Amino acid sequence: MKKKILSVCMATMMILGMAACGSSEQPTQQPEQEQTEQQATGEETESTLDYDKIVVGLDDTFAPLGFRDEEGNLVGVDVELMEATSEIMGIPFELQPIDWSMKETELANKNIDMIWNGYTITEERKEKVAFSQPYLNNRQVVVTMADTDINTLADLTDKTVAAQAESSAIDAINSKPEIAQTFKSLGEFETNDQCLMDLEAGRTDAVVADEVIIRYYVSKKGEEKYKILEEDFGKEEYGIGVRKEDTQLLEALNVALDTLKENGTTKEISEKWFGSDIIME
Amino acid sequence: MLTSLIGYIVEVSRGLGITLSVFAMTLIISLPLGIVVAVCRISKNKIICSIAKLYIWVLRGTPLMLQIALVFFGLPSVGIVFDRLPAAYLACGLNYAAYFGEIFRSGIQSIEKGQREAANILGFKTAQFYRFILLPQAIKRTLPAIGNEVITLVKDTSLVYVVAVNDILRVAKGAGGRDANTLLAYVAAGLLYLVMTYVITKLFELIEKKVQYEE
Repeated sequence: MKKKILSVCMATMMILGMAACGSSEQPTQQPEQEQTEQQATGEETESTLDYDKIVVGLDDTFAPLGFRDEEGNLVGVDVELMEATSEIMGIPFELQPIDWSMKETELANKNIDMIWNGYTITEERKEKVAFSQPYLNNRQVVVTMADTDINTLADLTDKTVAAQAESSAIDAINSKPEIAQTFKSLGEFETNDQCLMDLEAGRTDAVVADEVIIRYYVSKKGEEKYKILEEDFGKEEYGIGVRKEDTQLLEALNVALDTLKENGTTKEISEKWFGSDIIME
Repeated sequence: MLTSLIGYIVEVSRGLGITLSVFAMTLIISLPLGIVVAVCRISKNKIICSIAKLYIWVLRGTPLMLQIALVFFGLPSVGIVFDRLPAAYLACGLNYAAYFGEIFRSGIQSIEKGQREAANILGFKTAQFYRFILLPQAIKRTLPAIGNEVITLVKDTSLVYVVAVNDILRVAKGAGGRDANTLLAYVAAGLLYLVMTYVITKLFELIEKKVQYEE
């Protein structure tokens, strides 16, 4: 009996082991040799990269930058910019949905080649990834219900403030401790939509969020219900993140972004989604 | 409101395939593996028993989401690379095997020793004893506990969000985010989970009836 048990255990382990080995053969790593060869030819023919395709990681639940329409198609500001960039670079992009909390791990593991989805450029992130030139201006704005007497950051004293957890809004608030300390409390929610729901329920007095994102929500829920304060928690920029060693890719990406800005494509996309050109000049 | 709820139900159903595949593959992996875990756990060999105990402790003692993340993001660092869905299947299967293992153990150990002795005297071989005497009783006694676990699994499938495959809940999150209507989209997802658990509940009622006999 004991022998039988042992052999069953061994068999299971072997099956699992084999399954593991089998899938490890998938081509996830670019062979180094190939890379150096391409480098040599790359000097002659400009912007030739050793990529058959580029896998772009995005959070497909992040309206209006990248999300799915009713039919399940990927749409959004960043998705349109990706399509335009892919055309200019002459390399097909494959859009890979990722969980936002895992974005840097996905990049480091080479599951994706780029992080591109309202990815705010911060000093902390610069340690992990290389950023492209900024392509979108953003502000951390304060949203309240239209009928409140909150009009400046100073009015937030003793108020309940909410923001999306792990977002750059939280960083922006923490970068102004002299204001943050006057809050009654700071609540963190999973999504901006939940922040606004709490605002509407009256438990939260003000929401701090990316202007780009929150304007989209406010327009969906009814502009007349909310007001956005003139004072903000600071300006910031969105960029595209790539692995630090992928210098050629970064260069090609920056060239493509330049072209898009010059030929007016970014302006067109920005006006379509935001009504104004907030994409970097 | 009702039309948009129906709209969400239709849209969120797009995640049904992923949810059901995770559900089915987890059961396919964990039910047989659970038997192995149970048999090892009650083994008189101290080493085998300890390994089973360690397995159960680790797999039950850490969050399933973490285990999925470890299989998908952690294993590549030792050269083992899984695709998103297979990683989810494997992690959920290994996790549920620990729970099923303990349920099966409770079933096996609920059979009094006297039955085995009686079977021996009547000339049953060990395999025959397991097949005809122990298993029918153990299955019957553990069915409610297994049903519990299977229904928990329906909802645990949503943890695959960490590898970003679009199951019911993730599709709902995206749709709700798009329309600034998170609550309604989540309600639609909840209704789909209710339908699935209803079917499973009925299925277990049927099976319980099938194995019903006087003890």
